Amino acid sequence: MTATAGPLLEVRDLHMTFGGIRAVQGISFQVAEGETLGLIGPNGAGKTTVFNMIMAELKPTSGEIWFGGENITRVPTHERVKRGIARTYQVPQPFGEMSVGSNIRVGMAPDDIWKLIAVGADPAAEAEIGRSVGFSDEQIDMLPSELAMGDLRRLEMARNVAVSPRLLLLDEVFAGLTLREIGQISELLVEKKRKDGLTYIIVSHDLRALAPLVDRVIVMSFGELIAEGSFDEVVKDEAVRDAYLGQ
Amino acid sequence: MSIDRETMRYLGWWLAFGVLMCLLPLVVGTGTLRILIFAHFLAMFAMSWDFLSGRTGYISFGHPFLIGIAGYTTAILSFRFGVPIYYSIPAAVVATIVGGTLFFLPALRIRGTYFALVTLAFMEILYQLTKVVAPKITGGTRGMSGLESIVSGAVNNYYMSFGIMFVIGVVLWLLIRTRLGVALSAIRMNEEAVRSTGHSTTKLKLFAFSVSAAVSGVGGAFYVHYIGSIAPRGMFEINFLFTILVAALLGGAETIIGPIMGAYFLTVLLEYLRPVMPGMERYLLYGGIALVLYVVRPAGIYSLIADAGRKVQEWRR
Repeated sequence: MTATAGPLLEVRDLHMTFGGIRAVQGISFQVAEGETLGLIGPNGAGKTTVFNMIMAELKPTSGEIWFGGENITRVPTHERVKRGIARTYQVPQPFGEMSVGSNIRVGMAPDDIWKLIAVGADPAAEAEIGRSVGFSDEQIDMLPSELAMGDLRRLEMARNVAVSPRLLLLDEVFAGLTLREIGQISELLVEKKRKDGLTYIIVSHDLRALAPLVDRVIVMSFGELIAEGSFDEVVKDEAVRDAYLGQ
Repeated sequence: MSIDRETMRYLGWWLAFGVLMCLLPLVVGTGTLRILIFAHFLAMFAMSWDFLSGRTGYISFGHPFLIGIAGYTTAILSFRFGVPIYYSIPAAVVATIVGGTLFFLPALRIRGTYFALVTLAFMEILYQLTKVVAPKITGGTRGMSGLESIVSGAVNNYYMSFGIMFVIGVVLWLLIRTRLGVALSAIRMNEEAVRSTGHSTTKLKLFAFSVSAAVSGVGGAFYVHYIGSIAPRGMFEINFLFTILVAALLGGAETIIGPIMGAYFLTVLLEYLRPVMPGMERYLLYGGIALVLYVVRPAGIYSLIADAGRKVQEWRR
């Protein structure tokens, strides 16, 4: 892992238009290495669209994305992952017919056809990654359909850990979880950050769960950035209260 | 490639299958061998389809397009231009891989039903082209007949077709057991998630398309030299396409072994029904059998046999 002098991620004047709908309108922000940034806002604010653009799953209408001092605006998804960006999804996206171990195997596999053929899988390393996110040995052989929502979120974490990211984008990471599961996932995020020095951007509607994790929060509404600051500052911000409560 | 104990055990089964099939000409007549030769070619086409569509989920309705490229290339080169078949067949395989790349282009943008329909259009376009473009070379609607044979006699052709099918089968089966096979299956389940784990799905799909095309190329080239003729109606007929699909699905898609089983089952069934049902009505019966199997056992014959094997193992314990 290489530390960068400037911000790890910098988003510059990002726009995204779907037909006549302006989903993201000139968003700019930075994330420093090792920081945890909360990205909040009401439904339809454009948070997931920003994630999709950072991962190159959507091509921005205009604007630039810089990672580790490099302009990656035109870099495809898989190359961004190799540079150290990974993400989870609002609705977990496991490989449904594969066991937990095989899901991790896909994450660990190199992007090289000949190595994929010539170098065999490493079930011990896969199990180790599985255990590092809290899976038991029995669960490593289970199918995603046999797992609870909290475990599916763990599975996405495990697959992401397998690609050794520097920046992890967590989309609605607490959605659909019980209070106990929220606690476990929060602990996992803190632990991974401590051990691997990960940088997070977390999208969540569960502000209570988000508060203890974030160093800083940015707020979006109708595609625009409306507030930025510490968690306590933004929740008191008049514009943010307006956006959430429609006052 | 690391070979684990389970793979070694399965390779033992492959070897037993190979030995058994090599001994078969000692006990069956040439009529049966000729039926099995068709089963071997069908197995090659069904495996080719399975490696692409069974694995990645990119359902191809256009495999006859690939087989046709190979067939026409070797037929034109050898029959019209006198090129020895030792050169025309490799040239046909290369031409099919190039054709497979063409086939791949729509997969960059579309998948699902749309991709399947585009591949069907590829087949239809080649069908029309072979009829109207340079009929003096392609033979037009009548095609070409009297193509040079590679070997003569049922026994030699049986060994040749089985040998090619066997090698293709083992190679593809070993490939799907590697991490490449896992990555290709992951594309079928969730392509976006594969990209977000750092894989170029374009590269993976291009590899699957090229391998599938190469297998179709080998099968197609040897097939036309075996039957000694090629014509657009036989090559690009919808029944030919359905037979490939049914063999793969009936046997068990995504397994490579399944399509081989399906090809044997289908060919032998159709042939043995011939005396009882000489007309097209036997397709109705095989359609019925296929339908029942899909409903009862969607994973195909392979899963039936695999389950039976597991039960025997449990019983022995």
